[in-house]
Amino acid sequence: MSLTRRLVFGSNPRRTIVRIAVLAAVSFVTFSWILIPMRADGASMQPTYESGSFHLVNRLAFTLHSPTRGDVIGIRLAGPHVLYVKRIIALPGERFEIVDGEVRINGSRLDEPYVQQRIPWNVPAVTLTSREYYVIGDNRGMPARDHSFGRIDASRIVGKVIF
Amino acid sequence: MTRARAVALAAVAIGFAGLAAWRGLPWGDEREIRATLESLAEGFNASTSDGLGTLARAAQLGSYFSDNVIVDLGPGSAAIEGRERLIGMAARLQPRTAAYRVVLDDISVETPGAQGTADVTLTVSFIRRDPATDEESTDAREFALQMIKGGGRWRIERATAIDTFRK
Repeated sequence: MSLTRRLVFGSNPRRTIVRIAVLAAVSFVTFSWILIPMRADGASMQPTYESGSFHLVNRLAFTLHSPTRGDVIGIRLAGPHVLYVKRIIALPGERFEIVDGEVRINGSRLDEPYVQQRIPWNVPAVTLTSREYYVIGDNRGMPARDHSFGRIDASRIVGKVIF
Repeated sequence: MTRARAVALAAVAIGFAGLAAWRGLPWGDEREIRATLESLAEGFNASTSDGLGTLARAAQLGSYFSDNVIVDLGPGSAAIEGRERLIGMAARLQPRTAAYRVVLDDISVETPGAQGTADVTLTVSFIRRDPATDEESTDAREFALQMIKGGGRWRIERATAIDTFRK
């Protein structure tokens, strides 16, 4: 066996081909159904995620437990190929409102260390149903009318942004 | 493992892969509907580059919609009713919409009940390139479409924007 062929295929070409096939299959399954690669677009999650940065959404993150406050999640539109990325601020059954830029959950102020800039948004109080989460991006320095946020149904959560 | 067993296993694996591919591929009405929507998107994206007149382009895009189409963009904007109104509005807005490119994703087609009708959901991404910075920004919306088939062609009877977030 020539040196080049040995370098490409190894000492056992059949085993190398099987390894490549297995690796390709595992990669395909992993990045199609479990860890979805995505590119952030827009300023609503700054400074946590800059526009244009690449991330992974773990679709299995919420199989054993429900999403919790502070989780950054992927939210589907018609399907999983275009996602919103937002942070969970309020959980099912909680009462949510924003007063002069300050988030209140069940009347208590929420500490949000991930928010660097804040302008005084006001959002009327709303009580979430047992299947709703309240999600907002980390960039509160932009006008509320330019920022997509609000209540979402649990079925729209695709997974947790992990990277 | 004997050679015969290996060949049998490979044949079974190829058979399953073929079956999965066959089930996953769109056929019949679904294929026609997807082709229609892709063609509509191509027509929209071509509007800035092929030199066709604004009104002619709007009329061409209007042919993808039924005479009595209703386009409901959600709270804050009145529904657009009728193809003629839609064409007029598309022609007026063309200078603004020409800056955008649309991409369709996650098209899901269901053809329940009556023949010649279909329910479609999809995500429409409106992509705008800033000429100053050359950076692209995307605004995506989910739509539910009701489509009908007439004269051998699928047309949009109703388009409703779906709000991902509730206030």
